[in-house]
Amino acid sequence: MTIFGPLGLSFAPQIRKSPSLYRLFKPFADWYAQVAGYRQMGLRYDDLLLEERDDVQKALGRLSEREAYDRIYRFRVASQASVIHKNLPKEQWVKPEEDVRYLKPHVEEVWKEDLERAKWNNVQVQRKR
Amino acid sequence: MLARAKPVEDYSTARTFTVHRVRQRRRRKRTSMLAARATARRATRLLRTFATAVDVSGVKVAAVDNGQPTSAVTFLFKAGSRYETKPGLANVLKNFSFKACILFYLRKIDLYRTVREAELLGGVLSTSLTREHLALTAEFLRGDEDAFVDILSSVVSSSKFSPWELKESVLPTIEAETSAASADPTAVAIELAHAIAFHSGLGSSIFAPSHPSFTIEDVKSFAGQAFSKDNLVVLGTGIDQEALSRLLEKNLKVTSTGAALSSPASQYFGGETRLSLTEGPQTVFVGFGKAGTPPPEVAVLAAHLSTTPSIKWSASLSPIASAIPAGTSVRPVLLPYSDATLFGLLVQGESASDVREAAAASVKILRDTTATGSVKPEELKAAIAKAKFAAASAVEDREGFISTFGPKVLSGSETSLSSLYSALDGVTASNFTKVTSSLVKTTPTFIAIGDTTALPYKSEIGL
Repeated sequence: MTIFGPLGLSFAPQIRKSPSLYRLFKPFADWYAQVAGYRQMGLRYDDLLLEERDDVQKALGRLSEREAYDRIYRFRVASQASVIHKNLPKEQWVKPEEDVRYLKPHVEEVWKEDLERAKWNNVQVQRKR
Repeated sequence: MLARAKPVEDYSTARTFTVHRVRQRRRRKRTSMLAARATARRATRLLRTFATAVDVSGVKVAAVDNGQPTSAVTFLFKAGSRYETKPGLANVLKNFSFKACILFYLRKIDLYRTVREAELLGGVLSTSLTREHLALTAEFLRGDEDAFVDILSSVVSSSKFSPWELKESVLPTIEAETSAASADPTAVAIELAHAIAFHSGLGSSIFAPSHPSFTIEDVKSFAGQAFSKDNLVVLGTGIDQEALSRLLEKNLKVTSTGAALSSPASQYFGGETRLSLTEGPQTVFVGFGKAGTPPPEVAVLAAHLSTTPSIKWSASLSPIASAIPAGTSVRPVLLPYSDATLFGLLVQGESASDVREAAAASVKILRDTTATGSVKPEELKAAIAKAKFAAASAVEDREGFISTFGPKVLSGSETSLSSLYSALDGVTASNFTKVTSSLVKTTPTFIAIGDTTALPYKSEIGL
């Protein structure tokens, strides 16, 4: 997973580029996200991101206070649901439009910064002729 | 001379060049008059003042080229700690500038590029803060002015302050600065003295509080006010004024002219405070202040009392030097601002009882010195000469040059050493007594830092 970055491997950008592929995959993707079961426990997709990494930890630190609080609240609700082996009542499920990628932009930013630091740390200076 | 010579192409020309130089040197030796003339010629090249400031799209620009091997450009803002809207904001802005993120967002430049490019070009980017001014400085080799003026102008015009940058890299720096300052008795004494002497305005510290209460929104709005045209003067050393103006015209895009930063006119109060501190020497600061433009007489008084000997390892001629016990030091501190002066004696030593004795002795001498007729004409003359030398030698290095003349360019007053000289030359014995005795009659600012149980109180040292 590490070689594909903190977010893992994704073909979504390529699929989104082609309208026909997008039309083909979209219903399947929507169905899959719903069937995966995290929304039924009150979680968003970004809550499932692997967080035991330095870059994701840094990104978590960049969340606003409100976002960070809500994230912890969702975790507590989900763990309670897990303890009692029951999904939340249907009206409390996370709706597809609520399932936004609140963490992804920060993770990407930190990832880019790290790449850039690595690049400049290994820069080869050449004198202009 | 050497720098002006064309690069040597082959061995033969190199040799002729050397021979030419040897001959030249011999000629110089033979006729001392020629040498004297050469020195005079070089001396005229050393401009010790800025050329008149020109206006480049609403921003004052002043530059001086003394033929130094390196150049520097300083963006001086009238945005020191006295103008801050919440405690610590000026310090935050000082530490925020040049943080790599600033360039990243708006100009789509790589995050670390600024820092690394500056490193690769061999330049130094730095910021400094005083109570009245915030300075962003780039020092670089001649020929790189294009890159560095661009960096400076983009810091000023396209800053974006992100909340996590504040948390991740700015606040730790600020915390380190504050904790280092709070362990240094001299810094603590001077900060407390300002707070006691001027309350608000000049009283606000140049360090951030240890538990700051500002948010990123405060930083943004303060930066918007600080980085504005009317607040800015661009100062260059080792760079041609026209070249600098041209570069600024091309790069500088300061548009924000929001509500100007303002600070109430300074007022002197004075008072007493004590702070227990385990680190460093026992410290007592006895200060006197005055609102209004700093009079030259106080500079002469500081020079007269200065305990730094003119010859190394010798005893100073200052009246204070012989009166204080061994192991203590007394330093006159002169802090002139645009609309107030704080003058004081900083007494330091290892033992509190010695400091008490030294403080009492130096206060007595200060009172005696300011009494009518106590300073002999030749002493006054020596003190004036010393003050003139101090003023002139401060201008020698780049920092002193900028801090002496920068504010003058900003306020539009005359920027020359001769005006400093003539002010000091104009000090007469009667003026000296009048100004200094009225100064020491004000409410003293008394600060004791260290072992507060043993350090003296104000009344114990004759204040």
